[in-house]
Amino acid sequence: MVNFALFGAGRIGRMHGENLVRRSDARLLYVVDTKPEAARALAESLGARPATDAQAFGDPAVQAVLIASSTGSHADLSIAAARAGKAIFCEKPVDLTLPKCDQCIAAVKKAKVPMFVGFNRRFDPSFRELKKRLDAGAIGKLEQVIITNRDPGLPDLRFLASSGGLFLDFTVHDFDMARWLLGEEPVEVFAWGAVLVDARVRTEGKDIDTAMLLLRTASGKMCHINNTRRAVYGYDQRIEVFGAKGMLRAANVTPTSVESSGAQATCADNPWPNFQTRYATAYAAELSSFIRSVETRKPAEVGPVDSRQVVVLAEAALKSSQTGKPVRIKN
Amino acid sequence: MTEIAQFGAGRIGQIHASNIAAMKDARLRYVIDVNVEAAGKLAARYGARVVSEREAFADGKVDAVLIASSTDTHARLAIAAARAGKAIFCEKPIDLSLSKVDSCIQEVEKAGVPMFVGFNRRFDPSFSALKRRLDAGEIGAVEQVVISSRDPGPPPPAYVKVSGGMFRDMTIHDFDMARWLLGEEPVEVFAMGECLVDRKIGAAGDIDSAMVLLRTASDRMCHINNSRRAAYGYDQRIEVAGAKGMLRAENLGETTVEHFGAKGTVSDRPLDFFLERYADAYRAEMAAFLRSLKEKTPMPVGARDGRQALVLAEAALKSHHTGQAVKVDG
Repeated sequence: MVNFALFGAGRIGRMHGENLVRRSDARLLYVVDTKPEAARALAESLGARPATDAQAFGDPAVQAVLIASSTGSHADLSIAAARAGKAIFCEKPVDLTLPKCDQCIAAVKKAKVPMFVGFNRRFDPSFRELKKRLDAGAIGKLEQVIITNRDPGLPDLRFLASSGGLFLDFTVHDFDMARWLLGEEPVEVFAWGAVLVDARVRTEGKDIDTAMLLLRTASGKMCHINNTRRAVYGYDQRIEVFGAKGMLRAANVTPTSVESSGAQATCADNPWPNFQTRYATAYAAELSSFIRSVETRKPAEVGPVDSRQVVVLAEAALKSSQTGKPVRIKN
Repeated sequence: MTEIAQFGAGRIGQIHASNIAAMKDARLRYVIDVNVEAAGKLAARYGARVVSEREAFADGKVDAVLIASSTDTHARLAIAAARAGKAIFCEKPIDLSLSKVDSCIQEVEKAGVPMFVGFNRRFDPSFSALKRRLDAGEIGAVEQVVISSRDPGPPPPAYVKVSGGMFRDMTIHDFDMARWLLGEEPVEVFAMGECLVDRKIGAAGDIDSAMVLLRTASDRMCHINNSRRAAYGYDQRIEVAGAKGMLRAENLGETTVEHFGAKGTVSDRPLDFFLERYADAYRAEMAAFLRSLKEKTPMPVGARDGRQALVLAEAALKSHHTGQAVKVDG
């Protein structure tokens, strides 16, 4: 049994909280939020108590913290949790800046607490199976990876302006998948970004909404990522890995498998509409992985160093898109 | 009735000859090949005659020439055909060198003869339906194009040496598809090339794997991925995403049979190789060529398209060599 304090009573916090209280091997003791109202409301609905940072970190009954607060607070809360000797589950990203990531990595290392970072896609059943078969040699030596990641619709323009930009906010997931699937660190990044969806993304959001990227590893493995903030047919999440002996593909997942054949055409379901629905299983599975690592005292399956590396790739992509040149990465 | 003199009795020549034979409004009159035996065999099959180049060009009854000989003879034959006032169907590529392509275009335009270049993929029923629906506005403005193009197996190293390299020999088809689907000329190319499949290809100075990005002036983007070896067959897929949705054309299997077993569901491999996969496309491009001749309409794909694809191939090669993105005159 692992006792948790949850930081962040927003959308993601609620989802993680609900996943926690459904489990028989975890208990949610506290909900903490900068808005006490929100903390109280969520705590009540989950059978926990609202608390302050100090209360949560000070209670020895709390073994683990789940950090689902706003991105800017992740690193500081993680460092405080490490100092208090708590195991850490932190939503991605740990931080958008490298110095802060490094500070957090150092604090966690010093405190010798496990820290998990929520790169949920690694825990999607289809992507996980693909990776398992890849590792088992189903397609021989890996040569090419193609990651399609398209959001269903534009987020709030004010959010965009504070998000760190498409590469740091959105493509980070793909960078993590790329690293995970390539099995080697990318050493080169080339990125094109554009505003094709809505001109206000540039003027008000100070961001881009469309991108294509190429990554390359030292041994010549290549990866393509394509992104858009708006796919009218839903949340487009596909992966293709190609190797010496074949190809593995994970297609979009749909709510149902019903097909309707009419006089004009045959229609199937669109992909799940958003990340909450598409990755519901992954969010539950990542929590299992974290709890298992806490209970068995094994290192977390995906940690702050992984989160740091995707920031490195995102910064390289941003630089590439601004200079028009490929960016080399020193690992 | 269009009377045709065909140069080249090899693999692709045989396909074209049989397609001509199946057309009501065309006839194969002559076959010309350096391999006289092959020419004789092909001519006999379709009631044509084996003649010399000179005889073919001099015969006023010949309306059109079909050039399906080896790549290094395409431009010379096209120029000779233009000077003789014949309409031209030329297999891709016109030539591996841009200057030769340019002199060919100049002669053809001077002679005012129609010239078709065999970018067969434009005539594949699935790809042409995708393009038609794209043009009809089904997915709004194009934003991203993804082209997967992987050969079933690497060519012999001897071929690699004369092929002009993967970008000119193989990706050239994808560059043409990219231009066609983007609806705008690419103005920038970035290419990563690697030798991952066969060291002998690397030793011959070529690559066998590539990933390419193209961008147009209005920021439409295209990704192309290539490999000289796909264990599962000839991989030919296209995806176009736009403001209002996505259009995709998947691989075609030999049959649609699926086998459901204890371990999984298995369907056919993609059709292997281009002669099978694009059989319909070769037929349709011949029909399109003949229709344009008859109706005196512009060729749906011509010498300038052949040139632009080569320009992109050279830009990709330069990008691969320099490691930098390369600007292209659109």
